[in-house]
Amino acid sequence: MFAAILIYGFINSSILALVAMGFNLTFGISGVANFAYGAIYIFAGFLVWIFLNTLGVNYFLSIILAFISSYLLGYLMYRFIILRVRGLPLSEVMATFGLGLAIMELFRYLDFVGVKYSLPVFIDGSVSIGGHFIDYQRLLIGVVAVALTVIFYFFTHYTKMGLAFRAIAQDDETALTLGIDPDRIGAFSLALGSSLAALAAVIILPLGTISVENGYEVLINALAVCIVGGLGSTVGVIVASILVGYSQTLTANYIEPHWMILVSLAAIAVVLVVKPSGIFGKQKELEERV
Amino acid sequence: MLTVKNLMVFYENALAINDLSLKVGEGEIVGVIGSNSAGKSTLLNTIAGLTLDLKIKERRKGGERITLMGEIRYLGEDIVDMLAVHRVKRGIVLCRERHPIFPESDVMENLRIAAYLHPKAHFRKMADYTFDLFPQLKKYRRKRAGFLSGGEQQMLAIGMALVAGPKLLLLDEPLLGLSPAMQTRLVGAIKDIRATLGITIVISEQFARPVLPMIDRGYVIENGMLVLAGTGRELMENPEVKSAYFGV
Ligand SMILES: Nc1ncnc2c1ncn2[C@@H]1O[C@H](COP(=O)(O)OP(=O)(O)OP(=O)(O)O)[C@@H](O)[C@H]1O
Ligand SMILES: [Mg+2]
Repeated sequence: MFAAILIYGFINSSILALVAMGFNLTFGISGVANFAYGAIYIFAGFLVWIFLNTLGVNYFLSIILAFISSYLLGYLMYRFIILRVRGLPLSEVMATFGLGLAIMELFRYLDFVGVKYSLPVFIDGSVSIGGHFIDYQRLLIGVVAVALTVIFYFFTHYTKMGLAFRAIAQDDETALTLGIDPDRIGAFSLALGSSLAALAAVIILPLGTISVENGYEVLINALAVCIVGGLGSTVGVIVASILVGYSQTLTANYIEPHWMILVSLAAIAVVLVVKPSGIFGKQKELEERV
Repeated sequence: MLTVKNLMVFYENALAINDLSLKVGEGEIVGVIGSNSAGKSTLLNTIAGLTLDLKIKERRKGGERITLMGEIRYLGEDIVDMLAVHRVKRGIVLCRERHPIFPESDVMENLRIAAYLHPKAHFRKMADYTFDLFPQLKKYRRKRAGFLSGGEQQMLAIGMALVAGPKLLLLDEPLLGLSPAMQTRLVGAIKDIRATLGITIVISEQFARPVLPMIDRGYVIENGMLVLAGTGRELMENPEVKSAYFGV
């Protein structure tokens, strides 16, 4: 039992980390809370499904196309919606939330409902770890989450674009005096955040069916992880994913799987009351962000 | 190299720069001297394009109305409407007041960020030069910039501006809040920058005394208006400057 909880808790934490990473990236760099994040997640999922089943494109290519589309969606969102209300947080939230609702409810309206909307797993089968069977897809989620964290660290510390991200996150005016264009980086951060949502979608969605509700769930989970960890903090995302992830797994095990999302909601509520800046919040002096 | 002609800057209806004209020749060190809120930062920010950037941002969110009028010619081109990023690419680099650095990044990372527009070779050359100029920064390579002293942060900020590749370097009150000994060291470094790299420099200051020994020419501004212009020596001998800006 203990080993099972350890393994499934890890997978669940990985899912949360994957789901939160893009949201956190965009917020950490440009300060935009992208409330259309969950919508982009299912947009990518349904897009892969459409390419694969309606248009007959092969699976791998469908995934690439969904990445590119999500990237463009994020980019266009910044250029045509966020740029106009840039610096007005409430308007940014309303604009992204409104767009997210529109996208999600459009899918519902177009009748994208039902068990047929599911994606195939990448590799069939499972392995046994300490007597517990775990399928390759779940294993892959764990691997990708860890790999992405490592890649992300090197990206932000050793590439020009990554360093520009860190600069904009800290002080966009100083960045501007060094020739780093905040709008360009802002657009890129939204585009990259959106393709991370797509990445999470294509490797997590094969575990179940794609539904509009996934969009809301993903947004709630991403918010929970980011709020618990402290918005914009990468270390925070990792720690919070583990905390929330294991709490959810324990809840599912000992109480009721349906209550998992309640753990996220409760985590949001508790952290906002007890420590609004989160565990690794920006308010902490010189905290590592991005 | 730089010619500012009849420049006017309004924040809403308040006039921050009033019909100001000045010239900076290639290879010169030019001082801009004025007391608090005389308009020094506004002038330098306007030359660097930050005021234009602020204007665009404010207009986007329907905030403060900023008006820019007049002409800024740099290397034969009128740049009043050019975005800040393009000005940096053409070699106008501003080091803002109060040592702007990235506090969460270490010293090396600050310098690497500043090399955004340049290849590695340029970065190495300028980083090495920065450490020659300010040897005491060397031992702090891996230290978070936010934990450096004010003087060290100012050195780093100047180093970052150098890494950004200036032809025209604008320094906004680099001596502010530094001890006299540190001021002397910085003045030496600024002279070295011109002598070694041939960079043209505009430096602003509240007091004339610390900058007069290094500037070729200076402009004194009050309430956004030019009140006096002259060589370093002329300003030094002017009785008004003596009483107002020597802080005696
Ligand atoms: N964003 C702004 N909005 C409104 N007024 C401003 C703004 N920035 C500067 N001002 C005003 O413009 C005038 C000139 O300010 P500026 O910062 O250029 O002065 P300064 O010479 O740099 O002063 P200091 O020595 O204190 O740095 C001041 O009256 C200031 O209040
Ligand atoms: Mg100033």
